[in-house]
Amino acid sequence: MRAATRNPGDVLEAAAAPAMALACVGLRKEYAGRAALDLDRLDVPGRETLAVVGPSGAGKSTLLRLIALLERPDSGELRFGLSAAGPISAEAAGGSTATGAPVDPWGNGWGEAGRVTLRRQMGFVTQKTVMFTGTVAENVAYGLGLRGVPADEVRRRVGEALETVGLEHAAGWPARFLSGGEAQRVALARALIGRPSIILLDEATANLDPANVGIIERIITGQRQRGTTIIMVTHNLGQARRLADRVLFLWEGRTEYLGPAVGFFSGSGVPRARAFVAGELVY
Amino acid sequence: MPLTSEIIEIVLLSLFVSGTATVLAGLAGVPLGTFLALGRFRGRGLAMRLTYTLMGLPPVLAGVVVFLILSASGPLGRLHLLFTPAAMVIAQTLLVLPIVTGLTSVTVAGKDREIRETALALGATPRQAATKVLVEARLGITGALAAGLGRAIGEVGAVMLVGGNIAGFTRVMTTAIVLETRKGDYTLGLWLGLILLVVAFLVNSVFAGLQGAGETR
Ligand SMILES: Nc1ncnc2c1ncn2[C@@H]1O[C@H](COP(=O)(O)OP(=O)(O)O)[C@@H](O)[C@H]1O
Ligand SMILES: [Mg+2]
Repeated sequence: MRAATRNPGDVLEAAAAPAMALACVGLRKEYAGRAALDLDRLDVPGRETLAVVGPSGAGKSTLLRLIALLERPDSGELRFGLSAAGPISAEAAGGSTATGAPVDPWGNGWGEAGRVTLRRQMGFVTQKTVMFTGTVAENVAYGLGLRGVPADEVRRRVGEALETVGLEHAAGWPARFLSGGEAQRVALARALIGRPSIILLDEATANLDPANVGIIERIITGQRQRGTTIIMVTHNLGQARRLADRVLFLWEGRTEYLGPAVGFFSGSGVPRARAFVAGELVY
Repeated sequence: MPLTSEIIEIVLLSLFVSGTATVLAGLAGVPLGTFLALGRFRGRGLAMRLTYTLMGLPPVLAGVVVFLILSASGPLGRLHLLFTPAAMVIAQTLLVLPIVTGLTSVTVAGKDREIRETALALGATPRQAATKVLVEARLGITGALAAGLGRAIGEVGAVMLVGGNIAGFTRVMTTAIVLETRKGDYTLGLWLGLILLVVAFLVNSVFAGLQGAGETR
């Protein structure tokens, strides 16, 4: 199978991040006839850090699961500025077919193998962390094993990844018995080891103590400096303010605010956004 | 009173018959249970309920069915398998199959979604993700096999009917216990029962060892 034997060198280096990392056009997902997400348009430029905020049930996780290609949209399109062939132009990502076809992973011509290729260029830390049986090192190595990376390179990169999250001493620990903060950091190392050019974080610091929040924020900042595109769902508004370039504020599946983080926190013209920032919205 | 060598023979036959039945049931039941858990097909609910019902299949009933099939006038009478260890293996396989299938489907269905999605998100192909689901369900599947073997080795109804408790040929631990107790030798019956428990314990220790590989608490 094409995707199974793909060379890890095909994974884009963050430095080569395309102008447009990803675009969502009319993206809609329903559950039981009710729209969990209904976006007009969301363009995410390469190297951007986008914070996704909103009350519980607003569709934040649904958005991330759609981008991670774990869920198929009911309508609308995802376009990636990544492809097996390398970055494509912003114009192409924006929908023009003149400079090359936009990458629509659920469209015609993109089978499961194509979606696997795209997923391998993304790192997703899900809202509920799932540790596999086995050691911390085995968990972190999983993605590289899938890509057929040679054993000695796996060992080296696992060591590096664990060092990044400050868990090099835990390599041999059974992963399923880690504390919440440790598991979250292992999940982060496991997602980052494939050197993704887009990172998706779903409440990566929820329910963690300040020390672990600090460690994870430092890792995110490090990725940001490498030029990785980051889309992070968070309930921690301070964190969004510290890390994000732009904020997407979702309300019942729809975009209520999309713009600079500064504007969002300094009082936008959107009443619900103002109320949300002021903590006046129950969520 | 049987000699020590006879007792050893009886224990070995018990292990052989029930072990073979469990292996056969495992070969069919693990894929079947996985299919029940992950498959999307019509009648899946019905198949599940049927499996759960058959998990409680009375051994005597399994025995009667196999007896009728293998008896001289039955559809497979020509094979002359009745009152042989092979007949006992067939009856016990029938008994163990629903247990392995049902317990496998429960253990796979319990965690398949989150394991599968985590694997996919980390770059797995659909096939690699399915493999991961099975690997993660390994503990539960070993447990399913242990439960199946325990059921087989301890049942008497089916092996008695299709095996006939022939000394030195189809006599196993449970049928020996019944015989000795009927003869009034309660002490020997109890001793055999104790041996049965010890054997079951040892078998379960082996399974526990299999489960424990790579996971210590
Ligand atoms: N698999 C699902 N089945 C049914 N409803 C779902 C499913 N996933 C999400 N939903 C619903 O979609 C809405 C948005 O969910 P979600 O994206 O998880 O919200 P958030 O992450 O913002 O809290 C919620 O009303 C939720 O109940
Ligand atoms: Mg969520």
